[in-house]
Amino acid sequence: MSSKVSRRQFLSYTLMGVGGFMVSATVMPMVRFAVDPVLQTKGEGEFIPTSQKVAELTETPVRVDFTIKDRKDAWYKSDVSDTAWVYKEGDQVIALSPVCKHLGCTVNWEGDEHKNEFFCPCHAGRYEKNGKNIPGTPPLGPLDEYMVEEVDGYLHIGKTVPNTLV
Amino acid sequence: MNWTGKDMDTYLQQKEYIDTLVIPLVKVQTNMDNIKTSASSTEFIMHLASLIETQFKGRMMFAPPVVYTSKTDIVQMTHTTLQEFVDTTFTHVFFLTTDHAWNEIDMVGQVIWMPSIPLESMDASLRQSILEDQLRQLLPKFTEQWSKQ
Repeated sequence: MSSKVSRRQFLSYTLMGVGGFMVSATVMPMVRFAVDPVLQTKGEGEFIPTSQKVAELTETPVRVDFTIKDRKDAWYKSDVSDTAWVYKEGDQVIALSPVCKHLGCTVNWEGDEHKNEFFCPCHAGRYEKNGKNIPGTPPLGPLDEYMVEEVDGYLHIGKTVPNTLV
Repeated sequence: MNWTGKDMDTYLQQKEYIDTLVIPLVKVQTNMDNIKTSASSTEFIMHLASLIETQFKGRMMFAPPVVYTSKTDIVQMTHTTLQEFVDTTFTHVFFLTTDHAWNEIDMVGQVIWMPSIPLESMDASLRQSILEDQLRQLLPKFTEQWSKQ
């Protein structure tokens, strides 16, 4: 007879079960909200895949286009296409930002017949191959560099950092 | 440079370098026969303008598009509104348009007319390469004006 559950016991178990369920329903979301910032993945430092094979790179800078998907600018989401000038120095892959350090135009490799240099068409700014600005032309600093990574033979491009080669 | 507060601050400090003003001329047609063409060519010209802006950010200031309709007297508009743009402190003033009516009248400043290409059905990479082709064709027109002074 002692193994039988009494009416009083049955009721208290049921109440405890339901009560516990209701408490957890309110507490769980609070806990989740509290730890949410820790669980967020960081958007920066991400590498974006390109269609450029690392093995095909040479010492001559080539233009590599890549697209940043879903960049958020306040509530406005858009895909942003970006460009890099990429070449190999020994075994090291170097990706330079094409944004001129003068006023932000886009520079070109060997534009306007300047051999072995980057050229900015806006105010004839010039940079050496490693991004170093040539004195006497308008730019005041070297071209920025992109973080690079090789994944399965393809080039992945990360965020820009100040030039480390100059 | 775009017509925004931040870019305008840069312009005010760097006036001697940013000497070119570009104004897109956009014809807005609302009758049912032309409404689609009008929208499509506006899309084209604004995409093109934004591409030119990224390439030549440090030398060109892009004004917001100037809009007119079928009933606008464009000769009159040239002598008033457009003349006012030409009379600014910018050395070079370009009007970017897909409407060839501007080619047929005496214009102030430089008109850059481009045939409109419908971009709406293209994927992003094709659109980008087509716009870049158009930009390559435009380049000599800009550099020619710049070398004149």
